[in-house]
Amino acid sequence: MSLAERLLIGRLRDRDPSAFEEIVRRYGDKVFNLVYRMLGNRHEAEDITQEVFITVFKTVETFRGEAKFTTWLLRIAANQSKNRIKYLARRPTDTGDVEEAGGPGPGQPATPGPIAHGQIDGPDILMEAAELESLMQKAIASLDEEHRLLVILRDVEELSYQEIGEITGLPEGTIKSRLHRARMAIKEELDRHTR
Amino acid sequence: MDHKQAQDEFSDYLDGTLAQPARAELDQHLAVCIQCRTELAKFRQTLGSLGRLKQTAPATLLTDVKQQIYRRSRGRFFAPRWKLFGRIPFEWISLATIIAMLVYYLAILHGSPTGVRPAP
Repeated sequence: MSLAERLLIGRLRDRDPSAFEEIVRRYGDKVFNLVYRMLGNRHEAEDITQEVFITVFKTVETFRGEAKFTTWLLRIAANQSKNRIKYLARRPTDTGDVEEAGGPGPGQPATPGPIAHGQIDGPDILMEAAELESLMQKAIASLDEEHRLLVILRDVEELSYQEIGEITGLPEGTIKSRLHRARMAIKEELDRHTR
Repeated sequence: MDHKQAQDEFSDYLDGTLAQPARAELDQHLAVCIQCRTELAKFRQTLGSLGRLKQTAPATLLTDVKQQIYRRSRGRFFAPRWKLFGRIPFEWISLATIIAMLVYYLAILHGSPTGVRPAP
């Protein structure tokens, strides 16, 4: 953990409101992206992201600095996402289904999907990018939550195998073999839709 | 090497973690197998698309989290804390006590006894 990170955690333990704001600004997108990709539902993802940060502020005293702060934070996000998936699976009538990725949530302004964002202009291409993102999200959602998490951590969040090991508690060999299966499953899912 | 064996190596191949001679063997297979070349291209495209899946947090995240914390803690979470009990340096107090006891012990050991008159 870097010195700057240690100082930030120290300020957070002292309940310095500016440290709290810095943590949310710095890691908000990362946590939200992970949770959103796990759940596939913007409204649920917003709810869980808030819970993740509340848990972080409540339990920061227990963070001993053995792992990187990001790793600890993402482990909380991963666990809370998995818990929510299980909860939603028990209550299938809730909003646990995969929505159109990149689409606006209730009361949210429309935001372009990430594949479209800042890269392309025409409405047709924007539509195509939104469709691709939606397709990708559905392919991710077709995986069980353990495989889903690995794909998100490695290919979406671009973490190293060591960081993924710290988050999931899995050995590198297991991560690699499961990740490969998950990637192949996503490719096959995309193949099915594009045939 | 058959198609299945070749495709099992795709992740390691693209991650750059496939060691020789397996890498060379896969390269040889890809050079002659159009099916696996096509599959590898699709696999690479899939990983590329996954890497571009970025979703930004709602602009109201910070405000929402703050509101939740204020509401749940009834405003106490960020309220100024009484620093004395939160910040008592117990380790320094312990060290100072040990040093004081040591000094006292040495003073007793080497000091002349007081209040005792020498025997006539």
